[in-house]
Amino acid sequence: METTTAPPPPGYVHSGVGSSTDSLAGTRRWALALGVLAGLAMLASLYMVFFYAPTEATMGIVQRIFYVHVPSAWTAFMAFGIVALCSAGYLWLRDPRLDAIAVSSAELGVVFTTVVLITGPLWGKIAWGAWWVWEPRLTLTLLLWFIYVGYFMLRGAAENPERGKRFAAILGVVGAIDIPLIHLSVQWWRSQHPKPVIMRPEGAQADPAIVQTLLVSLLAFTLLFFSLMLFRYGLERLQTRAHALRAAPR
Amino acid sequence: MIAAGPREPAVLAPDPVSAAPAAVQSADAEARTGAPFLAQVWAVARKDLLLEARSRERLMSMATFAVLVAVVFSFAVDPAVRARSIGGAMIWVTVLFAGTLGMGRAWALEREAEALTGVLLAPVDPGALFLGKWLANLAIVLAVEVLVFPVFALFFNLGFQGSLPALAAVVVLATVGFMALGTLFGAIAAHTRLGETLLPILLLPLLAPVVIFACAATQRLLVGRPVSDVVSQLKMLAAFDLVFLFVCTALFGAVLEE
Repeated sequence: METTTAPPPPGYVHSGVGSSTDSLAGTRRWALALGVLAGLAMLASLYMVFFYAPTEATMGIVQRIFYVHVPSAWTAFMAFGIVALCSAGYLWLRDPRLDAIAVSSAELGVVFTTVVLITGPLWGKIAWGAWWVWEPRLTLTLLLWFIYVGYFMLRGAAENPERGKRFAAILGVVGAIDIPLIHLSVQWWRSQHPKPVIMRPEGAQADPAIVQTLLVSLLAFTLLFFSLMLFRYGLERLQTRAHALRAAPR
Repeated sequence: MIAAGPREPAVLAPDPVSAAPAAVQSADAEARTGAPFLAQVWAVARKDLLLEARSRERLMSMATFAVLVAVVFSFAVDPAVRARSIGGAMIWVTVLFAGTLGMGRAWALEREAEALTGVLLAPVDPGALFLGKWLANLAIVLAVEVLVFPVFALFFNLGFQGSLPALAAVVVLATVGFMALGTLFGAIAAHTRLGETLLPILLLPLLAPVVIFACAATQRLLVGRPVSDVVSQLKMLAAFDLVFLFVCTALFGAVLEE
């Protein structure tokens, strides 16, 4: 428990604390700067979504949800990619910073996946006529959501924080390896059934204004993700530091 | 090496992926240490199977549970539904739930009376420990499946028109992957406060690929489609098995560190 982690590192923890405060100031500056940029990009994308992009012919106004849905999905997948890399790195190097990045990304990944799972049905109700369709991408997103909700339950339920980090990292790696297999399986599984008609403004017929708006939204969401991730990372590091100070013998 | 240091302060945990150095280390430790990897695997599997053969508690609880699920299905499914068209789904849902139940128990046993500490003190490679546990779990769950299929056939009047060897291949291949993930996450869940409650939550989303192909192949065989129709599913299941077994064996060392 605490005793197993506390005794050897006092000196190590203190030097670690010192260096982490320095780096945390930089982290906060970056988080803030990216946050400001994300805010500006978000305003620009909102303006483009409502005033610049034309209303899509077949789906009408509801198509505009696409500018939130797709960037959220992109951000969520990027977040889970970061979780996978940092989890593998943590298992290899046991650097607590990698674990802090993984947990911050995973949390945001769950948030953005939730956005995808809310905006998807809102759009699907109009475009497909059903709130939920077992379409491969939807199914994959739902399973992803469950895997990473499990990630947090596992972390929270571990008997000590060090174990929680290791277990979560294992799930992060197994989950990442499993995701392509799940993707493959649900693709195959759905190919057995009639496909819903997916009307998406993709490819050649898409209006350039639509593509531009989408790109600005993607940029805004990516910046927002990195800003929030850095804030969350700083918080995680502070928590670790507070924990180490509390556990350290006086 | 992991087995050496469960009570040591463990400042920086040793590298989990280096199964090879651990094996080298175990070679010059004690008297029994010369045991080759496969002998270690078998020693662990034998221990678990002997325990199971004496108590029969996991086998009995899983089998009873599985039959009860079959009974519940017969209440729940509308008589107008042709059981044959949902047989594969019912069987695999039952196997998944019963197997998950047994998996949780497998590690709870090791946790009781610190039995796992004893196992860890023995010069056993973590990979061998994992594969031994996996082998024992595989044997026990396969035994349950041998019971589940006839019970469903009896209760729902399912006649297998497809080939039995192909069905056996589906069952074995699906269970190999199921047990690889089940053994790894069973060990993880046993070391948490939530214990066996957490296991299905972690396991079910990860098992989606196995479930999809196992159900599809079983269903096809059930309705009498030729073996050539399930060859691609069998190949997919075999590929998943290789991936899951490799990944879970490699990561298992990181579960056991203190």
